[in-house]
Amino acid sequence: MTETTPLVLVIDDEESMRDSCSQILLKERYRVETAKDGATGIQLIRTLHPAVVIVDLKMPGMSGFEVLESLPGIDPQIVAIVITGYATVDSAVEAMKKGAHDFLPKPFTPEALRIIIGRGLERRRLVLEAEALRKEKQLLEEHFITMVSHQLRSPLVAIQQYFEVMLAGLVGATDDRLKEMIHKANERLSALLRLINDWLDLARIDQGRFVGAFQLLDVRKILDRLVDLMTPSARESDISLDWAGSAGPAFEVLADAQGLEQVFANLINNAIRYNRPQGRVRIDLRDEADSVIIEIQDTGIGIAQEHVPFIFDQFFRVGRPGDKIPKGSGLGLSIAKKLVEAHHGRIEVRSELGVGTSFTVRLPKAAVGGSATGGASA
Amino acid sequence: MTTNRAKILVVDDDPDFREAMTAILTAASYGVVTASNVSEGTRTILSERPDLILLDIMMDSLFDGYSLCHAIRTSKEFECVRDTPVIFVSAVRQIAGSRFGFKGEEQGLAGPEDYIDKPVKPADLLARIERFLKK
Repeated sequence: MTETTPLVLVIDDEESMRDSCSQILLKERYRVETAKDGATGIQLIRTLHPAVVIVDLKMPGMSGFEVLESLPGIDPQIVAIVITGYATVDSAVEAMKKGAHDFLPKPFTPEALRIIIGRGLERRRLVLEAEALRKEKQLLEEHFITMVSHQLRSPLVAIQQYFEVMLAGLVGATDDRLKEMIHKANERLSALLRLINDWLDLARIDQGRFVGAFQLLDVRKILDRLVDLMTPSARESDISLDWAGSAGPAFEVLADAQGLEQVFANLINNAIRYNRPQGRVRIDLRDEADSVIIEIQDTGIGIAQEHVPFIFDQFFRVGRPGDKIPKGSGLGLSIAKKLVEAHHGRIEVRSELGVGTSFTVRLPKAAVGGSATGGASA
Repeated sequence: MTTNRAKILVVDDDPDFREAMTAILTAASYGVVTASNVSEGTRTILSERPDLILLDIMMDSLFDGYSLCHAIRTSKEFECVRDTPVIFVSAVRQIAGSRFGFKGEEQGLAGPEDYIDKPVKPADLLARIERFLKK
């Protein structure tokens, strides 16, 4: 809200006090409103949004202290000044504790009032400025990451674009060996682009920007759709996906659809990637007390016990012998873990070398009659 | 080189992308005109009356691809080319929208016929163009 002429609200049950304050303040060219009791004063604060409120401590009905106590819930940036005929150190201290910015004992001179109002407005100006700067900093941070990611991606995408034109044979005859090399170079670029995407996702999750508003979602439907999507690529790798299918009870959670999909996609991808030929990936959905449990189990190479504690770390990768070029970005599990935690869930891994690995995600069940509310805030 | 096929306008601030698109489209016997920014794009749309427009939505200027598409669909200036199919081209699907991070449809701006990601695969692009020109 832009500050034009500041509005000062005077809350005092004594008419003479309201009048004299008004006179002094109007002379200083402030805008003034008055209220003769706490309840009216609070109403006016809600509707008129004054910058400063002068409130008498001792009033019949709602006291000045009660007015002070209600202020943070209405306007945390309002400046409150208390006035009272019973000026004691105790009441001054208590008023300050309840959030008053300043304290003016009656009777006071016009000069004293002017000075205190001036100080109060100056403080408010600083508070508003700090808030604006904080917001600007946040905006810059958000855009910085997006901008850097864009700067990193653009040249890579441009290179790939040329490769696509070459691979389509549109710029002269290309023999098979040439095409093969261009294709491999293209693959390396794709891997780098995935890494940048994942890094961007990670940064956005950390900033609390990845996960959107939570909605009531059925985990069964999400898994079912994912399995559908991923069956072709599993088949390509000669892996079978074992999933109970869409028949069965719904398991509802409060979640961000894209976030959850990303978690399960990452886990299923890993299960396919780190599997043995003709291996299996089993996707299991069940509930236990207050939680929905999703388990993704593979018949893969497994993870050595000494590596297990690090498996969710960024860029931690267990290389397979003869595997110079790692397939993933190394960020998939970090992202999955952060996303699960952003959903107030937990993820665990169990593994046996040479037998297989199983990832278990636990998510809190949506309360019956649960509604969509705000999502994760980081 | 004569073509009896349609004319396609490519609006993109990246000269390499314009070159790649030109290679793809001329190989398929389309006529190609290019523009490197939105104001040049505007002039070219009105003067050349292309049959289809490929529009980069991540160009540098503030008045970006989304606004141009909206203008084509709604403003008087573009009335004569109102129904030209527009395909948005984007380098980053998730950040679809300008660098300033807005999502056009959520802002109530008229959308394109289609979206295609960079890098564009020639076969994919040509298939989509065929589809929209057939209409």
